[in-house]
Order: sequence, then structure tokens, then C-alpha cells
Amino acid sequence: MWTTLLLIAVSLVFGIAAWLLFLWAVKSDQFDDVERPKHRMLDDDPD
Amino acid sequence: MSGNSTKAVCAHCLLEVPVEAAIRETIDGKDTVFCCPGCRAIHALLRSEGLTGFYTRRNGWTPGPPESARVPIDSFDGAVRISGRRAEADLVLTGIRCASCVWLIERYLGGRPGVLSARVNFATGRSTISWDPSVTGIGPIVMAIRALGYTPYPPESLSAGDALRRETSDLLLRFGTAAFLSMQVMLFTAGLYAGYFQGIDARYARLFRWLCFLLSTPVVFYSGAPFLRGALRGARHGAFGMDALVFLGAFSAYAYSIASLFLGGEVYFDTATMILTLILLGRYIEAGAKSRAADGISRLVRLSPVTARKAVPGGGTIDVPVASLSPGDLVEIVPGERISADGSVAEGISEADESMLTGESAPVPKTAGDPVVAGSLNGTGRLLVRVLRTGGETVLSQVVQAVEEAQARKAPIQRAADRVVRVFVPSIVLVAAGTILFRLHAGIPPHAALMAGISVLVIACPCALGLATPLAVLVGTASAQARGILVRGGDVIELAARVRCVLFDKTGTLTRGRPRLAAVEGIGIGRDDALRIAASIEASSEHAIGRAIADALPVARRLPVRRFRAHPGEGIEGEIDGVRYLLGRPELLARFGVEPGEEAARRIAALPAADRTAVLLADDSRPIAILATEDTLRPEAAGAVSRLRASGIAVAMVTGDDPAVAARVAGEAGIDDVRARVTPEGKSEEVRRARKRFGPVLVVGDGVNDAPALAEGDVGVAMGRGTGLAIHSASATLMTEDLLRIPSFLALSRATMRVIRQNLFWAFSYNLVAVPLAVAGKLHPIAAAAFMAGSSLLVAGNSLRLRKGGG
Repeated sequence: MWTTLLLIAVSLVFGIAAWLLFLWAVKSDQFDDVERPKHRMLDDDPD
Repeated sequence: MSGNSTKAVCAHCLLEVPVEAAIRETIDGKDTVFCCPGCRAIHALLRSEGLTGFYTRRNGWTPGPPESARVPIDSFDGAVRISGRRAEADLVLTGIRCASCVWLIERYLGGRPGVLSARVNFATGRSTISWDPSVTGIGPIVMAIRALGYTPYPPESLSAGDALRRETSDLLLRFGTAAFLSMQVMLFTAGLYAGYFQGIDARYARLFRWLCFLLSTPVVFYSGAPFLRGALRGARHGAFGMDALVFLGAFSAYAYSIASLFLGGEVYFDTATMILTLILLGRYIEAGAKSRAADGISRLVRLSPVTARKAVPGGGTIDVPVASLSPGDLVEIVPGERISADGSVAEGISEADESMLTGESAPVPKTAGDPVVAGSLNGTGRLLVRVLRTGGETVLSQVVQAVEEAQARKAPIQRAADRVVRVFVPSIVLVAAGTILFRLHAGIPPHAALMAGISVLVIACPCALGLATPLAVLVGTASAQARGILVRGGDVIELAARVRCVLFDKTGTLTRGRPRLAAVEGIGIGRDDALRIAASIEASSEHAIGRAIADALPVARRLPVRRFRAHPGEGIEGEIDGVRYLLGRPELLARFGVEPGEEAARRIAALPAADRTAVLLADDSRPIAILATEDTLRPEAAGAVSRLRASGIAVAMVTGDDPAVAARVAGEAGIDDVRARVTPEGKSEEVRRARKRFGPVLVVGDGVNDAPALAEGDVGVAMGRGTGLAIHSASATLMTEDLLRIPSFLALSRATMRVIRQNLFWAFSYNLVAVPLAVAGKLHPIAAAAFMAGSSLLVAGNSLRLRKGGG
């Protein structure tokens, strides 16, 4: 019983952590521009 | 950068400047030329910052002066968000010409004291800059961006696009939340289902049910909130739409499950969450597509300046908001500034970049009397413009309005589905209520009767019905896009599926549209003089033949032209050294009272007419030259025509050109139905005639003169390199300019409509079978749930087929 409960709790924690991460990502506009970032790495030269 | 030529190229903006007007400076032992103090200052700034790498890395930069519009610094205050030791602002930058501009701005701003980060979106010009408010402020940052030659605007000057973006991100939050939580709900439901068949400890079953309840509550009330609002709005007006159906389905499953928690029985929390998750996904994808389209619009909107310099009677200028301008006012436009209102040039010589409206990238010369449009970019001269139209009446705002309207249109079949839903929702509620009453009447205990009623609602779940049309339209639109056809609005697919006749324009559509000048014959004047006059006049033309003539003469040899005027479909007129010249078809000359004369007619007849188009150049009294151009057919044109024919679609060609040339091109392309010498208005008349004969018409065109026909056609397809007006009048754009995409687009549209009909048929027949069974109490809840999921998957899978096949 306790192992099952523990596993359920762990899965909930993981799920909620992923959800919070997603909330943060949307709130900080990570999904706003999906075009430019993939080109950015080609631009930054070492100087 | 040699000192011998008469023209030099500015080291910063790459514009050509006359040597005598250029600013020269010796930098690192090299003689360097600038067009203006602004460019010189920017160059010096980049050198001092060690950012000259910008000049070596940039490509795709179109020559043009740095922008210098002025927005008062205090209007940026509203854009700043301060939280503790970090301040942030979203700005919109204009003047970004290539990807390296983004690099430059990010690099330069990143190196300013106090600036924490700077990110610029190349596609939209939106940027987010954060800084330490104790070290710097919005003022220095705005000045720094201006110093580089870009213009920052506060985000308030944007409108619809921004609201749409917020809506998209709101939907993403709701969808993401629903998706994460329903995955968890699914997990426990899977356990419950397994337990249903194999047996499960009652304590676990109880725990799982309560967990499902806890996890699905935010989905129903947070993620489902937009549907609830829509349903309430509908209820107030007595009209139930798709929102009501979705929420009713989800909420009844949720309510039934809560009742089961206490009364015992199966729970359907997974059904409730999955309905909302799937529908939200559809809405999110749709909103994303809309906001990408709106980006284009907001970029147009942003082109209109906020302030203008109005000339005051005593001399000098004052800064006023553009909104306060009225027709007749004089405004000053300095080099590099966006023109603030539609009007005509009162004073000054310059050129304007009107590419946002015309798609023509070459600057258009502007002298006194020439019309200018709001939002176009002034070139190197100072202009005094007399205002004609402002605000919502400018050409630019009208284009924006037209595009916004077009995007708000819904596919008619979707409206039909909405109408069905309007009847469907109340009927289902009535059936559910009837079931409850009937059971109560039969002496069944109230809670069991209630359960039976709610299960009718659950089983009539609108999943499949809700997804049937939008998903297929979405997949159809996306696959059209993958095939190089940009479709504007869901109704286009439906109309395209019914097209019975395709009407092609000739120049630029069936042919490459880049004719070249084949022959010039002077009548009474030299060949060279004739070419020089004709090419100078055509320099402002955007017609393909005009461009061919203009390109035959080096830019430096052009004569200044005044009172340029285009007569769409006929030709143009312009004034050189006080003499008015006409250049165009004999009809144009006749309309201005110039007799083409026998000599000209004989010479035109003597041209190898089969592959050439001849235009006449005339002064006030007589024709002085004949110019002939030739144009070649696109290699795939004949193939496209025969594929259209094979699918039973009539093909015709309409052109403003003369019959001999038209017949030649039509013959090569395999078209028998040809109308030549058709005016732009005549073209839309031809569209109506074709519609009467065959049915819905698709028009393919590229020029300003095709715009009326493109708008008149049931579906208008503009060529990707066509003029802005053509693209805005059309309902779809052919990005690749490959005519074979047209038959394949029509096939795809027909396939999409077929899939929608199949989806609707399936969704309705499911309800037709399942609802009576549920009313009779014969449908086992587990079977109903499986059936329901199956029907949604079937609809989704059926729609996704469009991605592969269908032409």
C-alpha cells in the first residue's frame, strides 16, 4: 500500500513540476518566437 | 569607392550618392564615403564599439537610409515594467533590413551599461529589453537604438495583432494545463479500467477516483472557462453554439462523475478532460495561424507614423499627432521618414519605397504633384506633402481592413455545422430531461433517474462533432501551405472545391512576366532618343512590359519625368521637358486625341506579331516610336492546363494584350477560350460571364489590373511575386509561382470537403445510434466511453489523411 502511495505521490510531483515549468515557459514568452532562436547560434561569432 | 566615377556608394547604407554630395572621411587609411551625417555617425559608432563585423557579415541588406522617425521619449514610459532590480520593456523596432541588424542591435544594447538582456525578433521587429533601473533607463536605451539607425516604437501603437497574441498565449496556458492534468487523469483512469475487468482493491479505486476528481477540477473550471463564458453568452441570447456543446459535454461528464463518487458507479473524469484538451488544441493551432497572419497586418499598421511635422503659416513646423491632421494640411517629410498621410507632393524631389503596397522593391521617384501614400518610406530628399486622406481612410488602412475582414470569414460549412449545433444542444438537453422524467414516472429512485439523464448528455458528447469541420479545414489549410499555396480564411477551401472554371491572366501568370525589349523603331526620331524617353517614363511603371522597357536603359541616363500617370490596361503618360508623352496601346493614344496614323499601323503589322507585344510612344500630336517586347510561357503552363482539363474544369485566358499575342500564348498553353484586349473592369465582367456559363470561377493573376477580377472571382489566386494590391485582393497566394500547384490545390480542396462530409456523417450517425441506446438504458458506460474515444480518433485520423494524399 505504502509503496503504491509513494509512487503516486512521486508521479504527481513530477507531473506538477513539468506543469509549473510549462507555466513559467509560457509566462516568460518562450513560445513567442520560435523562428529566430534556431538561427541565433549561427550568428554569434567568437570575435 | 573610387573618386573617378560620378556616383559613390555609402559605406553604411549602400545607397548611391553623387560624388559631389558625398561626405568623405579617411578611415584606417582608406577613403570612405557616406551619403549623410547620419550614416557617418552610425559608422563611427560601430567602429568605436568594435562592431564593424556587421558590415562583413550582412547579406540580404536592401540599400536604404537609416530611419529617423521621432516618437516622444515619454510615450515609452507606459511600456516599462519594473520588478525590484530589473526593469523590462517590449519595444517594436522598424528599419530592420536583414538578420545581421538583429545581431547588431542585440550586441550593441547588450554592451550598454546596465542592460541585462536584449532580444529582437527578426520577423516581427518585436524586442524585449531588460535593464537594471538603478543604472540606466528607457530614455538612454531608446536613444541607443536610434543611434544605430533603427526606430523604436512603444508597443501601444500596435493594435489587433497584440490582442491576438495575448489570446494565443492564454490558450496555450489553458491547453497546456489541460494536457498535463488529463495525462495524469488518464493514468489513474487506466488503473480504474484495468480494475474494472480484473478486480481492484476498493481502497485504491476510491483513492484513484478522488485523485481524478482533484486533477480534473482545474481542467473543467480553468481550461474550460472560455467555453463556459461562450455558453453563458449563448444562453443569454438563446442561441447555443459549439462552445455550449463542448462545455455541456465536459461538464455533464464531470457532474455525473462527482455524483458517482458519492453514490457509487463509474467515473468519467477522463472524458471531461479529454474533450476540453482536444478542442483547446484545435483552438490553439487556429489562433497560432491567425496570429502569424496578424503579424503581417500589424507590421503594416506599424508603418503609419504616430506624429507628423505640420507646416505652420508663418514658416517652420510643429510636431502634431497624425490623428489631428486634416485634408489640406502641409506636412514635412524628412529623408528616411515614413510618410504620415496619403496626399500629393507640394514641394521637393525624392523617391519613396512603396513596396509594402505594391510589392515593387525599386523606389518610386516623387516630385511635385505626385501622389504619395501613408506608410511608404521617403528616400533621400525632403518633401512637403499636402494631406489628402488620414487615419482610417488611407490606402494602407483600407488594405489592413480588407485583410482583417478576409481573415474573420468562416467556412460556410462551418456555419452550417454551427446551425446544426444550435438545434442539437437544446434537443439533447430536452432528451436528457425527458429521460429523467420518464424514469421518475416509472418509479425509479431519483438518483438513478438523474444518472440516466446525465449519461445521455455524456454519450451525446460533441467530441467528434466539434472536431469534424475545424480539424479538416486546419489540416487542409496547412497542407495547402506546405504545397506553396497560402490560403486566407477557411471559406477558400470550400469555394475552391466547387470551382468549375479557371481564368488565367496572361502576363506574369501564364508567362514569366519578365518580358524583354525586343525592338525599338523611331518614327521621325532616332532609336536612341525614343528609347530614352520611353524608358524614363516607364521607370515609374509597375507593369511588366513597362519594366522591360525601363530596364533597357541604364538608370543614370533616365530623364526626369513629371506628371506621371498610369492608365491600367492601356498605358501610361508622363511629361519630360514640358512635353507630354503617351506610351501604350493605340486606344490610349486615340482617347487623348492622337491618331496612331497609317505609318505606325503599317509598322506594327510588319512586326513578327506572333511573339511580340507592341506599344506606341506618342507626343502631343503623333506617334514617334514603336516598342516591341516579347515574353515567354512558363514551362509548366501547358501541363497545368491539361491537368485542370482532365479533372473536368474549363480553362480560359483573359488579357489586356492584343489578340495575336494572346492567341499565340494560349495556343502554346493549350487554351482555346481566349479574350484579348480586356480592360481591368472588363476582366471582372468576364469572370461573371464565366460563372454564368460554368459555375464557380477561380481567377489567377498578378497585377494591379487583375485586382478587380481577383476580388470578383469565387477564389482569387495571386502570384507570389505579384503586386501588393493583387495579393490583397486575392483569397490565396501562390508562393512558389508553380502553376501545377493550382490543379493540386483544387484536388486538395475537394479532398478536404470530402473528409469534412465523412466526419460529419460519422459524428451524426454515432449520435443517432448511441443516444437512443442511452435513453433506453441499454448502453453500458464503458462501451459508450470506448465508442466515444473511437469516434474522435476516427475523425482526427480521417482529417490527418489530407496531409498525405489528396493531390
